[in-house]
Amino acid sequence: MADLAGAFATPHFPQAPAEVAREGPRSQIASLFSAVRAEVDAVDPDVLVMFDTDHFATWFYDRMPTFSVGVADRTAGPGTDEWPGLPSYEIPVQAALGRYLHRTGIRNRFDLTLSEEFGVDHSIVVPLHFLNADMRRPIVPVWINGMAPPLPLAQRCFELGAMVGEAIRAWPEPLRVGVLASCSVSGEIGGSRALPGRPYAAADEAWVQHVSGRITRGEVDELLNEATEERMLEVGNVTGEMLNLIALLGAVGGRRPRFLEPLYAFGGNVYGSWRWDR
Amino acid sequence: MSAYGINKACYLMQVDRAFREQVRVDPARALAALPLTADERQALLSADVAALKRFGANEILLARIPRFGLLGLSREQYIERMRTLGK
Repeated sequence: MADLAGAFATPHFPQAPAEVAREGPRSQIASLFSAVRAEVDAVDPDVLVMFDTDHFATWFYDRMPTFSVGVADRTAGPGTDEWPGLPSYEIPVQAALGRYLHRTGIRNRFDLTLSEEFGVDHSIVVPLHFLNADMRRPIVPVWINGMAPPLPLAQRCFELGAMVGEAIRAWPEPLRVGVLASCSVSGEIGGSRALPGRPYAAADEAWVQHVSGRITRGEVDELLNEATEERMLEVGNVTGEMLNLIALLGAVGGRRPRFLEPLYAFGGNVYGSWRWDR
Repeated sequence: MSAYGINKACYLMQVDRAFREQVRVDPARALAALPLTADERQALLSADVAALKRFGANEILLARIPRFGLLGLSREQYIERMRTLGK
């Protein structure tokens, strides 16, 4: 049987690789990515199931799924989503697990959209750039629409995560699976609140602290009630990315994190790890 | 009000490098085949992002205009124009 071995959360702001190259390995951003990477390496999963919000690259308004899963042998990114200092990668995909998650979702009343040919944008490439050396571990992308309202309910995203977690544990192959949530908790892109010369707005630190507190205290029901579309959009137009973190909480059954550290740069972000191997 | 054509133009600026280049060289021609009203087309060509936002365009997509340095719009001008909308 497969094992859900651990879960991890990082941001994916596209300036991160260039920032770390410029600021060095002891900078705050580098240290936070390293801390999560050490957790991934300690758990050593064979595959990473990623909860992610595509930024109008893989998906657009011509077809905009609420929940979707990628089933292929490989993908590549960030393609035309070019950012200075962000490398391009070929990324292996675990097709059999993706196929199984798609089928299991449908049978559990999650009418997931399927894609068998897709590229990925910086929201998938940036976390893997830091956490997945040589793209050694294949991924299965599970996309949640976090930026084209109407957004799915937080409760539903939690249930999606719970379904994925249960499905992983019931997968008959002997596989160690990690869950990775790619997200911001306070994000605004291209709005009137953007900082001078930047595409993004300052973090809503009070909201990030509030959400972090709920998660570290295990107050999941409270968080699901508070993370309404209206509240998230008030914080910022891409704050719906935190639905990926909520799906992670579903996958780990609401367990408390081993650590959850905020970063108030490039919006409001968190770095986290959930482990139960010791 | 869908603003689909505006969003699509901004989407193509990222995902289609040939389109991006054509917007740089000849924006009117690049936009010719897109489903835009006359007002939407004019607002795009003049990089009037406040008007585009009022028409219902998604600001995450609009931000691609200054990101790729298109339509002569700097990030500073972008923010200045969006601010005219108030919060």
